[in-house]
Amino acid sequence: MTRALVVALAVARKDLTSEWRTRELVPALGQFVVLALVIANFGFQIDSRNASTIAPGVLWLALVFAGLVAFGRAFAAEREQASLEAMLLTPASPTAIFAGKALAAALLLIACEAVLLPALALFFGTPLNAALVVAVLVATIGMAALGCLFAAMVARVRAREVLLPLLTLPLWIPFVIAGGQAVQVAMGARGGYNQALGLLVDFDILFVVLTSLAARFVLDD
Amino acid sequence: MRTIVAHKLTQRFGSDFALDAVDLTLDPGEHLAVLGENGAGKTTLLRILATAARPTSGSLEIFGLDALRERKELRARIGFVAHAPGLYPALSSTENLEFFCSLQGIERARVPETLALVGLTDVARRPAGRLSRGEQQRLAIGRAVLHDPQLLVLDEPDASLDSGGSDLLVKVMHGRSAVLATHDHALANRLCQRTLVLRSGRSLDGQTRLQVVR
Repeated sequence: MTRALVVALAVARKDLTSEWRTRELVPALGQFVVLALVIANFGFQIDSRNASTIAPGVLWLALVFAGLVAFGRAFAAEREQASLEAMLLTPASPTAIFAGKALAAALLLIACEAVLLPALALFFGTPLNAALVVAVLVATIGMAALGCLFAAMVARVRAREVLLPLLTLPLWIPFVIAGGQAVQVAMGARGGYNQALGLLVDFDILFVVLTSLAARFVLDD
Repeated sequence: MRTIVAHKLTQRFGSDFALDAVDLTLDPGEHLAVLGENGAGKTTLLRILATAARPTSGSLEIFGLDALRERKELRARIGFVAHAPGLYPALSSTENLEFFCSLQGIERARVPETLALVGLTDVARRPAGRLSRGEQQRLAIGRAVLHDPQLLVLDEPDASLDSGGSDLLVKVMHGRSAVLATHDHALANRLCQRTLVLRSGRSLDGQTRLQVVR
């Protein structure tokens, strides 16, 4: 294993261990997505005809807001504990540290998705299939990279809770558009699933490369 | 080769000077105490020496390397104890240090001996969040010496330490160059050969410790 990979895995393991022991984030996110689905279930007149049209929008809304919380906490906790500086004052690459943080935040969001997708199938009666799961997971990769980069940027700002959505949401729109299309097709609508999924993969590659390049400057200075 | 050669280090925050043209040298194995009132610029100076901050202007060489450009190389040779311990409260003392072994690229075998050095063997498995403030400070000191650095930068390391704290500092500073910021003049006298006094970001060259106290 290369040194950067060792560092990234150590950072991710440290974040996941901390979350496992404190259970600060995942239970709250799980409750949040279930409540969002309950509200959407009562707010919309859901029946078998419109469920597959409304459900993708509800899924992405819940996912986007859960993601903002998950990625925001990734760096806010480090700042509050004053531990980020201790990490950065080692010879470890800031890009590897960033990758580890993003990996852990993405895995926490995937844990949240493990609650969201079955709950969506339960409340809306939509199918829960491999195509749906793959589309959401592929979108999560790019969203995690972008979300963590902006979370790192705003972590030292007092108004970070306001700034993070303002910076992140516009750049998540491509994932919502392509992911929304892929999810609609996975739920039974007509359209090109492979084309939407390919677009998601392209966005993942683009944003993972860009955020990796930017992470060094965001974290180190 | 000198350990530190700093020339006209200046740090401005807006129109305020946190550091104003401070010169500083440190020889290998030498211990320097940085004294001064609150807001004198001690922490700013130490953060620059630890490569945690960049000065607005001035030059800084550490071990003959440009500390503003070759920070990654230097960080493997510098240990820093900051104001806040910066530990992970959910991880045990051992896990905290093992994590930093991974970041430093060193063997985890160093962890037990480091815990023994800072007197935390008995609480090695206790989460850092449940340690007393003094024990957390000892763990932060342990983390700073984990990779056997040649230069230690210590920002008020005696804060929260008990009566054995100065003995611990003697042990960890032995054989290394060190810059120590403190308000404790007795501790500075015991641990350091030289003193740098700061007032409002400026170095007060030529003053004795007694004059500073007065």
